[in-house]
Amino acid sequence: MDIIILGQQLMGYIPLGDIVLYLAPVNLFMFASALAFTTLIAISRTETQVEAGVGTLKDQEVKVDKDEFKIRRFLAIVCGLATAGAMITGDLFNFTLFVCLIGIVNIGIVAAVKQIDVLDAAFQYGLVAMIAILPLFGGAAMILASTGTISLLEIAHIPTTFMMIFGSLLLFLGVAGETGVAPFYATKAEMFRTPGSPFLLIIHLSSLLVIIRVIEILLIINKPF
Amino acid sequence: MDKLKISSYLILIISIAGILYALLFNPPPWIVYGISIIFIPTGILSFGLISMKRGPKKDEEDKNREPFIGY
Amino acid sequence: MANILLNVLIAFLVGSVLFGLQRKIMARIQMRPGPPIIQHLLHTLKFFIKESTFPKTAAMPFYIAITAMLSVIWVAAIIVGPVTQGSLLLIFAIYAIHKIVEHNAGSSSGSPYGKLSCVRAVFSAAAEVPLFAVLIIIYFKAGTMNIAQIISYQAANGPLIYSIPLAAAMFFVLILSKAPYSPFAITKGKDIISGYETEHFGLLRGYLMMSESTAWYMLLWVFLTVFIGGLSPLWYLVGMLALSTIVGFINATTPILNPNHSIMTQVSFALIGIVGSLVLLLY
Repeated sequence: MDIIILGQQLMGYIPLGDIVLYLAPVNLFMFASALAFTTLIAISRTETQVEAGVGTLKDQEVKVDKDEFKIRRFLAIVCGLATAGAMITGDLFNFTLFVCLIGIVNIGIVAAVKQIDVLDAAFQYGLVAMIAILPLFGGAAMILASTGTISLLEIAHIPTTFMMIFGSLLLFLGVAGETGVAPFYATKAEMFRTPGSPFLLIIHLSSLLVIIRVIEILLIINKPF
Repeated sequence: MDKLKISSYLILIISIAGILYALLFNPPPWIVYGISIIFIPTGILSFGLISMKRGPKKDEEDKNREPFIGY
Repeated sequence: MANILLNVLIAFLVGSVLFGLQRKIMARIQMRPGPPIIQHLLHTLKFFIKESTFPKTAAMPFYIAITAMLSVIWVAAIIVGPVTQGSLLLIFAIYAIHKIVEHNAGSSSGSPYGKLSCVRAVFSAAAEVPLFAVLIIIYFKAGTMNIAQIISYQAANGPLIYSIPLAAAMFFVLILSKAPYSPFAITKGKDIISGYETEHFGLLRGYLMMSESTAWYMLLWVFLTVFIGGLSPLWYLVGMLALSTIVGFINATTPILNPNHSIMTQVSFALIGIVGSLVLLLY
């Protein structure tokens, strides 16, 4: 096996036509850490948030009740698995699907909470995520149209054209919207005020890992040399 | 000996055994990396859990609830 | 294995002493005698024998596992860096997980200070992600992301710090934001006690400090390797001392910024760095 992507030796790949799964050290590391965090989430209790009570000297304890805990844990595990999938897929369309799933599930994780501020933030994040689906899939479709394949191993050998650069710009815009980074982050931080730290962790984890992965994908698509 | 102590000793022994195995028998690189990534941190953590001082049993409940009081 | 163990030990010891030196420099600038240089190292070891309990409100076993996670990722970084000289992308993945640890160590305890630090970690991650673009600039310049190949590129074409100085400045801001008392250290700001470390006391604090020393050593190692090239161990030490001293000067003379200002400053640095570097690359 002598395929090298971005200066890394591939450790293995499963070719299923266009649907390819491949593992380079980066992918393996991010895949393993996504799975490790997902396992921890599955076995963890939630924390009890201690806040100052209003109009009294006592502390107020904010807990996650049992029904809410179950549904949020389920969604968090789905999100962890989707993140792990997005890390090892070598197929652009599967990647966009995983990112889309992450966006939906992230809203779900906070939507089960009964706090108005948090729900507002989740609603606004949801609007951005929904709008971002258009450039996300549009970008991937444009890259497919200009290269004729969605397998990253194939795209790595195709010289970059202008349409591929345009498509990857759209793709980046889509991922930025779905994961809520730089221009879109304003409401996202508000979502983290609710209790249930193991579940909130996966929202943050998925967005950061997806950003690293999308940098890798964009560099594979747009070869500067 | 409570549950925490016993499991810490167990993890410490496993970690040291793993590190010694990698030191003495020269397994393939990826096994060495796996062993060092997992067993060095768990070794240190379990050593810490053994070496840390535990407060008197009767104060434990209070300290768990308000960890900072009494420090 | 012996190589890895030795590197982990060196990283921990050098990182701790550099942190101690930094505190000493800050103290002298502020006309205080300051603690001894090995104080940080002593603190780390001392915490291991202190009395520890785990808060009742904490999310177990996450509360403990997250400290182990920090150690795991920086041992992995040592294997990627000095031991095998692998991919730079992996170092940035490790940096991303470091942000996750900051986030979750804060929120897993249930303390309001930790919670605020957790929200700030999310906030600051959004600003540090644009600084990740330094990776792309290095790739555009050197044509590779493999640390060994970057070293040989620099042996042939001269250090990258001369050809892409703005990228080096961006990376320096990234390093600066990981130093304690730095203007960008909003997750550890003293207005929220100790930020995400507030409820990790005793043994767990010692464990976290151990990993943080390793992280500091590794960040400086990556900076020196990627922007100056393969150095001999002595020059690595000199370079790390110089960088820590500069960081100490900056930390001693600046207050911790308010979260919004910190993020806007970081984003501005990133913007200037990216646009400037691309212009420099094109002309």
